[in-house]
Parts: sequence; structure tokens; C-alpha cells
Amino acid sequence: MKKTLEKEAVLRAYKRKQLLITLLPALALAILFGVLCALVSSKGYRLDIYLKKILNEGVVLAVVATGAIFIYSLGSFDISLGASTLFSATLGVMAYNATESFPIMILVIFGVAIGCSLLSSVLASVFHIPVFVTTVAMMSVLTAVASQIISVNGGALGGISIPSKLVRPLDTIEFKLLMLFGYAALCIFVFNFTKIGRRLKFLGGNANCAKLSGIRADRYAIVAFVMAGIGVGLGAFLTLVYTPSVTPTTAGGIGMNVIVAIVFGGMPISGGPRSRIYSALMGGFSYILLNNILKMLISGNAGYGISQIVSAVFFLAVVYITGMNYRTKLLAR
Amino acid sequence: MKTPILEMKHIRKCFSSTVALDDVELNVYPGEIRGLIGENGSGKSTISTIAAGMQKCDQGEMVFGGQPWQPKSMIDALHKGIGIIVQESGTIGGITVAENIFLAETDQFRIWGGKGPVSTAAMNKAADVVLDNIGVTNVRGHMMMGALDFQTRKLVEIAKVVMKNPQILIVDETTTALSQQGRETLYRIMKKYRDEGRAVIFISHDLDEIISVCDTLTVLRDGHLIRTFQREEFDEDLIRTSMIGRELRGDYYRSDFEPSHMEEVTLTAEHITVPGILEDVSLCLHKGEIVGIGGLSHCGMHDLGKILFGAQKAASGTVTAGGIRITNETVAMKQGMGYVAKDRDTESLTLSASVRDNIAIVGMDRFAVKNFLVLGGKEKQYVDQQIGVLEIKCADRDQQVSQLSGGNKQKVVFGKWIGRDSDILILDCPTRGVDIGVKRAMYQLMVQLKKQGKTILMISEEMPELMGMADRLIIMKDGRIMKEFQRSKDLSDAEIIKFMI
Amino acid sequence: MKKIIAMLLALVMVLSLAACGGTGDGNKPKEIKIGVLVADVSGEEALAFRNYYEKYLAPHYGVTLTYTEQLEDAAAEKAAIETFAAQGYNAIISLSASDRASQLETCAQYGMYYAIASGMDDALYAEHKSNEYFVGQIGPSMTTEYEAGVAMGKYFKEQGVKKIGIYGAFVPNPMHVYRLAGTLVGLGLSYNGATEMEAIAGQLYAGFDLNAVAGDIAVTHYIAGYSDTMWDELGAAMGAGIDAFISVGMATTFFADMLNGAKLPYSDIDSFTSGNGKNVKEGSLKYLAGKYASSVGPIFAAVINAVNGNAIRTPEGYALSISQSYLVATDAASFDACYGADQGDKPIISTETLDTVIGEDVTYEQFVAIVK
Repeated sequence: MKKTLEKEAVLRAYKRKQLLITLLPALALAILFGVLCALVSSKGYRLDIYLKKILNEGVVLAVVATGAIFIYSLGSFDISLGASTLFSATLGVMAYNATESFPIMILVIFGVAIGCSLLSSVLASVFHIPVFVTTVAMMSVLTAVASQIISVNGGALGGISIPSKLVRPLDTIEFKLLMLFGYAALCIFVFNFTKIGRRLKFLGGNANCAKLSGIRADRYAIVAFVMAGIGVGLGAFLTLVYTPSVTPTTAGGIGMNVIVAIVFGGMPISGGPRSRIYSALMGGFSYILLNNILKMLISGNAGYGISQIVSAVFFLAVVYITGMNYRTKLLAR
Repeated sequence: MKTPILEMKHIRKCFSSTVALDDVELNVYPGEIRGLIGENGSGKSTISTIAAGMQKCDQGEMVFGGQPWQPKSMIDALHKGIGIIVQESGTIGGITVAENIFLAETDQFRIWGGKGPVSTAAMNKAADVVLDNIGVTNVRGHMMMGALDFQTRKLVEIAKVVMKNPQILIVDETTTALSQQGRETLYRIMKKYRDEGRAVIFISHDLDEIISVCDTLTVLRDGHLIRTFQREEFDEDLIRTSMIGRELRGDYYRSDFEPSHMEEVTLTAEHITVPGILEDVSLCLHKGEIVGIGGLSHCGMHDLGKILFGAQKAASGTVTAGGIRITNETVAMKQGMGYVAKDRDTESLTLSASVRDNIAIVGMDRFAVKNFLVLGGKEKQYVDQQIGVLEIKCADRDQQVSQLSGGNKQKVVFGKWIGRDSDILILDCPTRGVDIGVKRAMYQLMVQLKKQGKTILMISEEMPELMGMADRLIIMKDGRIMKEFQRSKDLSDAEIIKFMI
Repeated sequence: MKKIIAMLLALVMVLSLAACGGTGDGNKPKEIKIGVLVADVSGEEALAFRNYYEKYLAPHYGVTLTYTEQLEDAAAEKAAIETFAAQGYNAIISLSASDRASQLETCAQYGMYYAIASGMDDALYAEHKSNEYFVGQIGPSMTTEYEAGVAMGKYFKEQGVKKIGIYGAFVPNPMHVYRLAGTLVGLGLSYNGATEMEAIAGQLYAGFDLNAVAGDIAVTHYIAGYSDTMWDELGAAMGAGIDAFISVGMATTFFADMLNGAKLPYSDIDSFTSGNGKNVKEGSLKYLAGKYASSVGPIFAAVINAVNGNAIRTPEGYALSISQSYLVATDAASFDACYGADQGDKPIISTETLDTVIGEDVTYEQFVAIVK
């Protein structure tokens, strides 16, 4: 009797711990949000503009990261996401300027984004090399081609753009949230409630076992890259909504920030069944919040790099904590 | 009464959701081979790894050779007199045997009085001596570790530990990885230790083995020490009962000795050949039949299992099920086939996934709406049914599989394939590393599946279970089928083994 | 269940984020706060501007002046402007050019004045010159860039060079394209037959082709961009016996040591810094066109006027658009005249000068006079 009670207590503690681990990223986001609000009001700044700005910055990162979860859940990396965003935005702008048709622009943006993503995965599967390697190549190629297009067509302005009137009506919080949550909902649905998503995660956990369970790795890698491509397309579109111009440096930071965001969101870098869409949402906004807090605390004139160092320390701490979760799970045989 | 060489007092150890050891007292005396036996999760490995410095206990104290025993690590313990040969491989693949043996101790082979580079020749030679000392002559220091098979790697590991001449040698489930020859080598070392007045702690699942090798036997169950048997008290039934805490009722293996099957052929393999591994293997399986394949570890039977499931390509030959040629796993599954791999943790399960994920993954075409939409309710129902039928001990369906004991892990694998109602099950070493209670449950399940008209192909290295379960027993050697036996009461070990070696 | 809770939490968070969108209107601060957008934080010219603003002007006028970190793209520019808006800044001075239209629109949206401190953007000006928040732009126009190139070309033509190498810097960067076009014209060369500014510049965006150049002076080597091999290319050019190396920008950063060492006459369009002084006096830098740090002074004055409600507009009532030409040094004396006059406490455009155009009754003409 005593023993069962004890066992149940241990089990409850374990479940509590699991719940805490799941909620940790949300908790971190809440804390960062609180800190930001406190800082803004103590300094007498305007919270409304600040929050709008953070949403604007975070939404593109969160959208691209959400799509990237599909790739990361396979245990793969894609560092060409920023370059694909730039490339699809570039071709989108070119398409609009050639046809003056908004729908064609949207089609081109998503088509190109999905195409780039697919190309990475197809190349990887044809040549039997890790996808990561092809994405490194894609990153250089896409950036170079986009820069060339922009500099040739951008002329005296150094960038290409669509008329700002075209997207101005969409530059609202409501529209962006709609896009973000719409896409996130789609991803959550595919990820958790379809055979495709479930098999994808399983594949990321153990490719050997997945193969012996009748899961064809190539096919699911393609699905993952298509989903990520949609995220990149949406990210490129939202980038244009925010600023209707594209320069060779547009979206330059996205590729790396996506990795940081996903880790901040508590997702294991190795992917697998514990991958969660919500990591991208929590992580994306946490990262942007953290950046803004650091910028407020460390005056811009005090020296560059300090805020980067602090967020690097945060990054390592988060990886350590999520990793610790696994290390302590060594169990009796 | 001798004084114990190692005393472990009031040892307690918890893992996040489990009490692994609760107030356990264990005394080991010089000149004995002490057996530790218990079901998976009974705490036998935990207590031995604590003694060997691999982990620390939460409470309790240890005395070794009259001194308080607080090893800092496995290496520290080995240097101070307690060495362990672990269950899972503790060797590194990319370097030579000699480098493995003298890992972190290569300084002794530096030339120019210890200041120059390491002399590989000297190190290889020293490694050869170490291997010779335990009677292993077919492995040499210069060989690459990764090129050796699992069993040979194990022997190198044994050599590495024995080289240090520890006062107590702990052997943890090592024999499951070894062939008969390897086992003999290990038994010889153990006996030598006993005769020299040192001690051995021997952990095994195999009751027969432990009874024949050990002088005393300690039974653990659910983290408690149940009883220690002296040699003269050894009684198989008594030991078994104390291991599982209740008397085993009903049969262990199949109760009948009549070979039987239905007419319908479910799977045929014709002229399967893989150069160097399999040569012209043909077989055919029927509905309601349990076919056993036995042989030495490298006879090709494990590869055959994979080929039948379409997971490995044969150079020539065909596998057909339900009139369809099996070319890959997906086709095999469509024809109602299921495959339980030998290497459970890397091939049959995704350890980081939950029980639910692992069971549901191959069953989605059974419960998903239009084979696409996975609804929580239907999935839970499907998974819970398997958990219930197989009595899988887990916190809940969302518990990570890596946290389960070996037997329960294997039950999850069974649930995965039985849940989708597989008609043809290829089981490669299905009871490997599983304790008696679970083994028995699996044997009974196989009997039940046979009655339902399922086809079972059981590949195993353990003769008793093949003899106990199979309608037909196929013996393989060097990639060929040597002999086929029909089920019979009169089948004997000796007769079968003749065809294996 | 856990996931649902987590998602709910997230939803609440974002909704509250959105809800906050409508609250509060900050108090109008009394002090003047100006944000400066920068794309380059380490160049000598950028640092000279920054020194002049932060150490000289800001303390004198009691203005809070904040520099951004390096802005990578248009989105970063917009985010920086929004941060300044949230912190109650009154005006933005831009030294960053990813998307100036978007910068201006964002500033106007938050009621902040906007000014461009270096470089001109004619298209932008044409579209937004009536915007009340657009203070104006002061700096070299593309025509000025072209003319700087022409002057540089002419200088070398008069020196009698026969065989030259050209460094095109970051063509197709527009600024460098116009300078390069000007240089060719100044040297008396044609490009695919073209000799007019727009005709040449239009072709140069697609890259520079040595074979397209025709005229009395031979252009035998052309280097552009930044690569590992560009020093070797310069070495090859020097080995081929060029008389001069003409650069439309950045040569002093990349090639100064090599050119000074070989005593090969060279030119650059850069800025007046101590390092360049050394190149002129001890090295072989024969022609230097540059901006001086206090050239960004007048726009600062214009911004302060605008914030105080005394905006200076053109006679037509539009935003300012004043082209500022380069200063040129060809020897130690002329270098010191440009550089020495712009040091520390005594810049060319001092606070005394600026005071004359800060106030209520400053006319457009008065203002233009101090810029020129």
C-alpha cells in the first residue's frame, strides 16, 4: 500500500516535470513580455508602438521558423531559408513590375519559395548528400542571383520595389496575425493530425526504424520541404508588406535567427517526435523580445556586440537546459 | 564465516519516475561467483553499476576491502579494484583494438623515455599479450574495432577490463552477446577469478546459465532484495517464483507437440542469394504456422528476415506474399507483413517517441480517417487497446519509450505489429533481453496468433525456445539451409546443434 | 492537454500584444531627440560624421542624439524608426539607404521629421517633396557624383597619362556607376560610343567591359568589387606599366600600401582623414575628392528648425534638396586646407555658422548659402 502511494507520488512528480518542460518556452515568453512592458513603462516609452514593432519583427521570423520546424523535425538543417526569402521576394517584385498583377506576384512568390525548397531536397536525394549541404550551396547561389537581379534592375535606387500603396492596406496587425495564425494552424494540423506529419516526426526520431515501418524517407523529406517553402513564401510576402522594397541584404538574418528561435522555443535540435510547431512561435517572439530588451538595457552607443554576447549566452543556456532534460532521463534497466 | 570483500548497506536509488533500489543490502565474499538475477527493472544492473562507480546511490554506504568505497567514476573504480563489463558496447569503432584496450593509457608506449610519439607497434604487441591472456587469439591489436562483429568487440572489452586485474569482476548481461565459444572463454575467466580468491558478480537473464555457473544467487525484484540462494538450495521453480513474485501458472512454451498448419501458403521465398551471406535459400510459410529458424549468429538468418520483409535487397531470388512480389517494406506491409527487428532500440523503436507514437505509426491505415486524418480519440482507443492486451507497464500512453524496461519495450514493438492485425509476422530474436515473465507472455501470444491463423517466422539463437514453439524448425549454416525438423517431443539439442556447427 | 494550455497561453499573449496597440498617447517631450540611421558603423567617413554629430553638435544644442546599430536591410531601418518613435524621438536623420521611401513614410506615420544627410534621391524627392515631415536632402546628387568623376578624369588627362588602370569599386552601386561614367568622360573616352552621363551610366549597371572603351588614353586594366585575387590583378596592372590607377572609391582602404610602395600615382573619392593625409604627403595619392565631416551640419540645423516649428522650405514650399559638391586635394597644401580646417572644435561648418540659420526668420537663400 505504502509502496503504491510512493510510486504514484513519483509518477505525479514526473508528470508535473513534463508539464513544466512543455510550458517552459511559453513561460519564458511571458516573463520576457513582462520585463519588456516594465522596462518600456519605466523609461516612459510608448508601449503601443513598441509592441507593434516587435510584432512586425517577430511575425516574419515566426512564420519562416514555423515552416522550418518541418525540416528540423527530420533532424535536418536548412540555412538557405533567409536566401530563399530574399530570392522569392525579389522574383515576386520583378513579376509585379512586369505584369502589374498582384495575384501573379503572390503566385510567383510562393512558387519560387516552394521551388527553391524542393530543389534543395531533390538535389540531396539525387546525389545522396545531407540536405544541409545542398542548402549551404543554395544559400550562396540564391543570394548571388538575387543580388545580381536587384543591382541590374534596381538602378540608381540600389533596390527594387513595388508601389507601397499596393501593400499598405495589408500592413496591419490584424492581417499579419491572421496570416501567422492561419499558417500556424495549418502546420499544427498537418504536423499532429495527419499521417504525413506524424510519420515525418517519427522519421526524424529514428530513420532506421521508420524505414522498417514502411516510411519512405525521400518522400517525406519532400513534404517537409514543401511545407517549409510555404513558410518562406509567406515570410517573403510579409517582408514586402512591411517594406515594399528588396535589397540584397533583405532577410539576411533570417537563416540564422530561425535556428536560434527554434532552439529558444525548446525544440530539440536533433528533431524527432518531440518537435513542436509551437516552439517556432514561442521561440521567434521570445528571441525578438530578448533582443529588444537587451537593446533597451544596453545603450546603442555603449559598444556593439554586447547584446549579441548576452543572447549567445542565453542560447547556450537554453540548449543546456533542454539537453539536461534528456541527460537526467537515464533509467534503470 | 568469511569477511565480505564488498559490503553494500541500505542502498537506495531513484530515477525520475521510478524507485530503482530500495534499502538493498548486498555482501560479496572472496572466492565466489555471485549471480544476480531478476526481471527487467528489478534493479540488478543498477546495483552493480553503483558498485562499479558508474553512478552514485542516493542513500546508503559501501565498504570495499575494509575501506569506505566511494569511486568517482568507472575508471576510478577499475583502478581501485572493481571492474565491470557492461551490457551495451563500451568500445569505439573508428580506432584499433589496441587503442581501445589502452584508451587514455597510451603514454606508457611513448618512445624516447615517454616524451616521443606513441609506438604503435609496441602498443599492438602489448594488446596481443592481453588478448592471449584471456585465450582470444583470433583478434589482434592492429585490427580496426569497427570491422569486428559485436561478439568479438565484446571479447576485446572483456580483455580490457580483465587486464587491470580487479578484485571484483562484474559481468552485466554480457553473455547474451556471445556465442557458445565466447561464453566458454568468459566462464573460464570467471572460474579463474574465483579460484584465485577474488570475486565475480554475474548478471544474467538466463536462469539455466546462472544456475550452472554461480555459487550463490541473489534475486532482486522491484528494487528489493528478495532472497539469496546458496548452491545447495538452487531450485529452478523456487528461483523463478521469487523473481516474479508469484507462481507461474500455465504453460511456458507450447503445450502440444503436434506440428500443424493450414493449407494456404502465405509467403514463399525462392532461391534467395546474397553473395557471401545467403546461398539459394527457399522456404514457404503457411497460415497458422510457426516456423523457427535457428543457427549461429552469422549463419545468414538475420539477413534472411530482413530480405523477406523487403528491407534488404537480395542479389537474386524472389519473395512473394499474397501473389505480390515483396520489393520494399511498404509493399510488405500492404500484404499484411510485420517485422520485429533483432536490434530493438535502433530498428524497432524510436526511443525518443512516446508509446503512442511507436504503436500508432504503422497502424494509421487502420484507424486514420481516409488513411490521412489522425483523430486523437480513435488513435487513443487503438493504442490503449494494445497497451491493455499486452499489459504494457507504462505511466501513460504518452510516456517516452526510452523510459520503459526492456521487456515492456519489446511489448510495444509487438503491439505495433499486432495492432495492425499483421497476418505474417517475422520475429527476429523476439525475446532477446526480455525477462521470464514477458517471455512467457510472448510465447502464449504466439500460440494465440497461430490459433487465429497467423503466420509466424521466429528467428532465434536460443534453441530451447525454437524447440518449444516451432511447428517446423529450419537450421541454417553459412548461408544455407542445412536441415528441417518437424515439431516433435523427441527433438534434442544435441541433434540440432550438429547441423549448426 | 499540455499543448492546449500552452497554445492558449500563447494566444492570450499575442492578443494582449495586439490589444495594447490602441492605448495611450505619449506626452510631448520638451527636449529634442534625434535618431540617426546608419548602414555603415566603421568606415572612416561614417566615424567622422559621427564624431561631429555626437561630440560637437549634440552637446552644443542640448540635443539627444542616438545612433542605431548597423542596419542591414529595409526591415531593420523601419524597425529602428519604430523604436525611435516608441521612445518619443522627434526626428530622424538618415545615413542609410536601403529603402528611403519606406523610411520617410514610416517617419511621417509616427509624426517624426525625416532628413537625408548624405546622398540625393531624385525620384523620392519628386514624389514626397510636399510631405510636411520631409525636411529635405543635402548631399551629392548623382550629377554631383558624375561631375566628381569628370573632374578626376580631367585631372589625369591634363597630367598626360597614356595607359591607366581603373578600380570600379562596387559598381553597380549607383554612386560608383555615376563616378565611373564621369571618369571616362573626363578622360575623354567613350563607352560603346556613348559620351553622355545617362547613356554611359545606363550601360554600366550591367558591368564594365574593357573592350567597350575607346579613346586616346588606353584603359588596360579594370578591377571591381572585393576578392582574394584583386591584389594580384593590381600587381599585374603595375607590371604592365600603367601610368596611373584611378579609383572611384575605396582604393585607399584596399590598395594604399601597394600603390604607395610602388610610387604609382593614384586617385580616390573618399574622405579627408589623417590616413589619407599620409597617403597624399608620403605616398603617391595624387588626387583625392572627398566630403568633410561637417558637411552634414546644415541638415542638422534644418532638422532642429523643423522640430521647433520653423521649417525651412523651398520658395515653392517643398522640402529642401540641395546638392553638395566634393572638395578636392591634389597635394599636401590643398589637403591641409580641407582637412585641417575641419578638425575637432573648429570645423568648416561651425556652430557659429549654424546659429545663423537656426531660428524663426531664416530664409531659404540664407540656408543654401551656408551649404554651398
